[in-house]
Amino acid sequence: FFLSSWLPQTVPCRGSHWQSSLLALRASLPVRAQPKKKKKVDVKREQAQKDRMKKKIRKLEKAAPEMIPIEDFITPLKYSDSKRVRSLPPLSFEETERRVLLMKRWCLFKQKQDKAEKAAIQTLVEAQQEALKELRLESEELYQAAIRRDEGLFPFEREGPNYTPPLPGYDPPEGKCIDITKVYTQ
Amino acid sequence: TAAAPRPWKLFGAMCLLRLPRITQPLEKEEEEMAALMGQIELEKSHYSDHEIRKLEEEEQLRRRKESAYDDDEGPGKTVIMAQDLEEKWEQKLQRFKAAPRVTDADKENNRTSLNRKLDRNLMLLVKQKIGNQELWLLPQAEWQPGETLRSTAERAMATFLGDHIQAKILGNAPYGIYKYKFPRAVRTEDNVGAKVFFFKAFLQSSDLSQAELKKDYLWVTKDELGDYLKSEYLKKVNRFLLD
Repeated sequence: FFLSSWLPQTVPCRGSHWQSSLLALRASLPVRAQPKKKKKVDVKREQAQKDRMKKKIRKLEKAAPEMIPIEDFITPLKYSDSKRVRSLPPLSFEETERRVLLMKRWCLFKQKQDKAEKAAIQTLVEAQQEALKELRLESEELYQAAIRRDEGLFPFEREGPNYTPPLPGYDPPEGKCIDITKVYTQ
Repeated sequence: TAAAPRPWKLFGAMCLLRLPRITQPLEKEEEEMAALMGQIELEKSHYSDHEIRKLEEEEQLRRRKESAYDDDEGPGKTVIMAQDLEEKWEQKLQRFKAAPRVTDADKENNRTSLNRKLDRNLMLLVKQKIGNQELWLLPQAEWQPGETLRSTAERAMATFLGDHIQAKILGNAPYGIYKYKFPRAVRTEDNVGAKVFFFKAFLQSSDLSQAELKKDYLWVTKDELGDYLKSEYLKKVNRFLLD
């Protein structure tokens, strides 16, 4: 004969042994086999852990933040090699003289340019003041509208001029730019 | 208390500037200084990796020629020399042709085109009827009560160039003023003369294909203004133009 848990007669199927009958509600709450651990010990242990973590965090915060190194100011060691020093003939007397005279001419050139710029700005401001004076004589209302600040003017962005104008129909070569800058966090 | 109406008519005019697209050529001092700065930088510098590689390869070549080919030319692998790389880069540069700085419009002196004088500021001049004369002026319109002078200038610009013009107007205040009295025949007690207030704007959009409703317009530089404007008007306009 064969063992089988499968009974030939029809028996009402019971989902769990706590359900005494199909129609009755659960008589008692399902309880675990072993008695439950006391809640207090868990809470204490968790609190102790949290305090330890907080202490560690406070210690780390108190320590001064490490300085972020500026990579441009650190010369890599391979460039201080003596083999790298350029060997050029020393400058002749005429060359130094030429350089000094050129520097003096440059000084004068820049001074004249700066003076001209300042004079142009001065005439600009004077012309505007004159226009505003005449406008005030005309009507106070228009004058107030004119001296009001223009909110849409700043930020003012403009691309500077290039050496050659843009080439119509130019197809720039394809490529991908991979950024390898090191990012430091404090 | 209502103010008595002033006898001056008000006009708002717009000076629309197309900013330069290419750099101006360097002065003689600037070029000499740039060359000197390059030389000083070269003298103070150290050799770069590429230069060291080039020097080493030249050494190797020299040694190989002197010792009559008796060290490693067996493997036969083709080594790219630094010199070859430089030549390749030079060739690539030669193959590229940039757009010319002096355009066709420059050569023909076509003053209605915007492609002329790419290294200077260009401003718009239109032919307008004042009284019974046709004059070349900066576009102007008469002020209507209820609008600011800036909006009058914008309206003037819109009548000559259409609504889709993109221009950045520099502030609410006028940059200059031109005051003139009407000729004695037209002058009355209430109508002595007119004041034209100038505003400045930078042209943002680069193509004006839909624009130009009026036929007579010109884009001129500050030096060429003298060919078209009357002397008094020119004097006042030159005061607020930088070049």
